[in-house]
Amino acid sequence: MRPSTLYAILMLTLAIVAGAVTVHGRQRALLEMDSSAVRDSLTRALGLTDLCLATEARYTRHPALTDDLAPFMDYPAALEHFPTGLFWAPPR
Amino acid sequence: MREFSEKHLNILDYALSSLWRRKGKNLSVFLVFTFVIFLLASFQFLTRSLLDAAQATLRQTPEITIQYMVAGRQESIPVSYAAKIKDVFGVRKVTARVWGYKFNEVTGSNITVMALAHFPRLDQEVLAEGRFGAKGEKGWAVIGQGVLDDLGLGSRRSFSFFRPDLTLKPFTVSGVFGPESNILTYDLVITGIDDGRDLFGMEATLATDLLVEVVNPLEIATVARKISKALPGTRVVTRPQILKTYEAVFSWRSGFAAICLLSALAAFIILAWDKASGMSPEERREISILKILGWQTPDVLMIRFWESFALALVAFGCGTILAYVHIGYFQALLFRSVMMGWSVLRPGLSFVPVVSFGDLFLLFSLAVLPYLAATVIPAWRCASVATDSALRG
Repeated sequence: MRPSTLYAILMLTLAIVAGAVTVHGRQRALLEMDSSAVRDSLTRALGLTDLCLATEARYTRHPALTDDLAPFMDYPAALEHFPTGLFWAPPR
Repeated sequence: MREFSEKHLNILDYALSSLWRRKGKNLSVFLVFTFVIFLLASFQFLTRSLLDAAQATLRQTPEITIQYMVAGRQESIPVSYAAKIKDVFGVRKVTARVWGYKFNEVTGSNITVMALAHFPRLDQEVLAEGRFGAKGEKGWAVIGQGVLDDLGLGSRRSFSFFRPDLTLKPFTVSGVFGPESNILTYDLVITGIDDGRDLFGMEATLATDLLVEVVNPLEIATVARKISKALPGTRVVTRPQILKTYEAVFSWRSGFAAICLLSALAAFIILAWDKASGMSPEERREISILKILGWQTPDVLMIRFWESFALALVAFGCGTILAYVHIGYFQALLFRSVMMGWSVLRPGLSFVPVVSFGDLFLLFSLAVLPYLAATVIPAWRCASVATDSALRG
């Protein structure tokens, strides 16, 4: 068998795997949409503004309602020191 | 056309055989390249999933939120401001809200406590058990799944928080949020506004912020501008601003992690350049023999291009599929410690990776194109050396 044929088989296998995980992902996304009505209802009724992802600091728990200075408010010349500050860029 | 494709197919065959001959070296390059693409793609898929989750989850967030600022810090807002805001044309309703954080010293967790002035109007069943407190009812609390575990309540349905004067404020759990809303409510305690003021030691004339509903959602910005003018010293946050905040927070261009990943990619390209420019004597001899046999420099370059492209394409495919599995099935295991840091309450998130053609093209341009350039350019320099000197070594 020519090497290019083997290579084509390899690429086809990768494409099939990629297709399978994407289809499975789509099905999960549809299931997620079922619970989006619950979340919509909650944000509307309770006035929620932020996702509960990082709960270590108030400026990463509620970035939408936090001003730019919140990470440095502890004392004059304070440094932002929470690990999530590396991942969460400051809101603009 | 047939001749052209046959020629390239033959060159591809030769390039693949050449890759196989040096399988040790190429396998190490493949593994490192796959890992770099895996990291870049994981980061891209994760930030895209988070951004999509934020956009989908927060589309019903309050239209306008008013905070009171003193010396650059948020302070409690006088409830009397609500009357002034109601006078602004276009405002439908103003609601006072008290909220803040309680630190659980036993587990080291931060719990968000939110106290409502009104009975929430819900058009969906959002609680896994129980109900919200009725109007006038005291001491009730609806809690998130994380709070239930963090306080170690088990089958008990009462708990206490410390007031500022260190006396205990008791609560009875009247309901528990379902796990499908964990991304919003995992660390949340909802209670009545009088209990909230009692817990935080706040006067009845104050609130944490005011929520404003406008008559026409298209006029949010105009109404916000009017409120800002009518109440200097307040910070007015609108729904579009909240959504834009999440775009900025999850933008892959910002953030330290993106810089680290791009540094890893740059290091890999430097390595690829170094490997390609330091060709072994066997590789130089191979090029010389091909040229003696009548191959032109473009043909030799074509082999090098196909070698690099074939390897890069498989690495790209494997890297992106592994990244998809990492985000979709292992919930971003490698990034979770950076994303959640010292958080004690960590909702069990269920990411569904969102992959767009634009993201794949961006990854391809960021990783594969520089790699091709880093390998083909040194090959061109080697291919243009005199054949007799290369053969003599």
